[in-house]
Amino acid sequence: MTANDPNTLLPRRPSRLVPTLAAVAVGIVVIAATAGLPIDWRDLGTVPAQLVHFGGLMFESPNWEKLPRALTEMWRSISMAWIGAILCVLVSIPLGMLAAGSVGPVWVRLPLRGVFAVIRAVPEVIIALILLTITGLTPFTGALALGIAGIGTQGKWVYETIESVQEGASEAVRAAGGGTAEVTRWALWPAAAPALLSLALYRFEINIRTSAVLGLVGAGGIGSMLANYTNYRQWDTVGMLLIVVVVVTMTMDAISGAIRRRITRGPGIARTTRTALPARTTRSRNVDRVR
Amino acid sequence: MTATRTDAKPPSGTDWQLPPRPSTRLRTALIIGAVAAFTIATCLPAIGGVQLDFGALVSHWDNGSGLLLQLFQPDFAFLPRTVQPMLETLQMALVGAVAAALLSVPLTLWAAAPTNPNGLSRRILRAIVNVIRAVPDLVYATILVAMVGVGALPGLLTLFLFDLGIIVKLVSEAIDSADHPYIEAGKAAGGTQTQINRVTVLPQVWPLFANQWLYTLELNVRISAILGIVGAGGIGRLLDERRAFYAYDDVSVIVLEILVVVVLIEVASNLLRRRLV
Repeated sequence: MTANDPNTLLPRRPSRLVPTLAAVAVGIVVIAATAGLPIDWRDLGTVPAQLVHFGGLMFESPNWEKLPRALTEMWRSISMAWIGAILCVLVSIPLGMLAAGSVGPVWVRLPLRGVFAVIRAVPEVIIALILLTITGLTPFTGALALGIAGIGTQGKWVYETIESVQEGASEAVRAAGGGTAEVTRWALWPAAAPALLSLALYRFEINIRTSAVLGLVGAGGIGSMLANYTNYRQWDTVGMLLIVVVVVTMTMDAISGAIRRRITRGPGIARTTRTALPARTTRSRNVDRVR
Repeated sequence: MTATRTDAKPPSGTDWQLPPRPSTRLRTALIIGAVAAFTIATCLPAIGGVQLDFGALVSHWDNGSGLLLQLFQPDFAFLPRTVQPMLETLQMALVGAVAAALLSVPLTLWAAAPTNPNGLSRRILRAIVNVIRAVPDLVYATILVAMVGVGALPGLLTLFLFDLGIIVKLVSEAIDSADHPYIEAGKAAGGTQTQINRVTVLPQVWPLFANQWLYTLELNVRISAILGIVGAGGIGRLLDERRAFYAYDDVSVIVLEILVVVVLIEVASNLLRRRLV
């Protein structure tokens, strides 16, 4: 082993043992899970043919006769989404602010964060199912469920936004003799308001998708209509309803996205072609974005 | 405003005047008016809006209060019967996430501008992904159940489609918004686009993928817990069945179990994420 031996110049390859073992373990778990599923995998082969068959039934000649009713039901879903978003935002902005590290005392902050976490973990459909027993099968139930279910994520976004506000303005207000209330009003709120409003609109976008789901369990709106016509096997109407859902959802996303960009980036950048939120850097926000 | 303008002296020496405060009152009023009008329109049952009925909460309280009370008295004797469906739910979540993860890599590279210079094919794929994403999860499940029959298969397909939409959209946008000097290096070295993607881009974006994969796994656990409500397998079917029997003490056990599992998966995935990303 002399210095001329090229092998001595290279550092030794790091051991790949642990990553390999981990990959093998994950692989075994995945294979076990796949094998354990009560699925006859031969059915999977028929799925593409089924998709083509039913796709043809749905979209070859969608039944446009029921379009007016579909649009009314879609509006009902949008209404549910909007009212749910308002309820959610009205509750979660004050609570989220109290839960922010720089605002609320510890004994308020920790319980609030716990409540947010619990609500986040319960699917909104389950909240709707529980509410059904009190308010019945009405769109109001759907709106309430959206309002309650959204608090978990929205509250988390609010306190994260408040905590990411830079310290300077808060220090200035404190130096001028302001207490927590003044700091919140004059330092934190002006800095966080655009982001909070943008998040509120984003909640509306999420709710539009979710309200269709709540319709499936009976809260009314386009989801109920879709579930009914799927049960009747009237595929041409189902196809029309799907088209309505996709077009309206994408349109509302585009409108709301444009407003959000205007709120967070200010005027004059309207020509940007990007279609959605810019990729955010903070991971935690990224995590719940799609819900 | 014009009055203050004419009053303003030309700047001479230290005699500066503050510019007039921009008037935003009209704009604020318009925005508030628009929001209020939209809100009122959504509350009109006559045109299909939601009938706000907070009174119903009070007057119908007695209907539900007994059931809600039951909800707070979980009957843990029911727990053993939930194990098998819960396992099925978790299996669906995992298999769906893995299948979507495998297919997401080529599709994402196809949908991002730096890795696919062909604008036409990129736009086509993006449009398809946007359409896939515009359909809510349970809507897929409902339709797929009607197509391929009740069971875990429609649930699995739902999760697969849903995850694919999320991963391709979020990761391709993240790739778009980052700088890619290493791609230029690859081009300068004479690599084809495929070689560049494989050797330079994949190692760079791997943490983004890992992050989204873990995230879809978390989402899948949440979603697959309710897929059974429309007949797509898992614990949701049991939940819906017990609810239909008004056995709310059992429902409570299931909800608690879902909650615990979701939180456990989140904690585990956060730990993993810290290691991988």
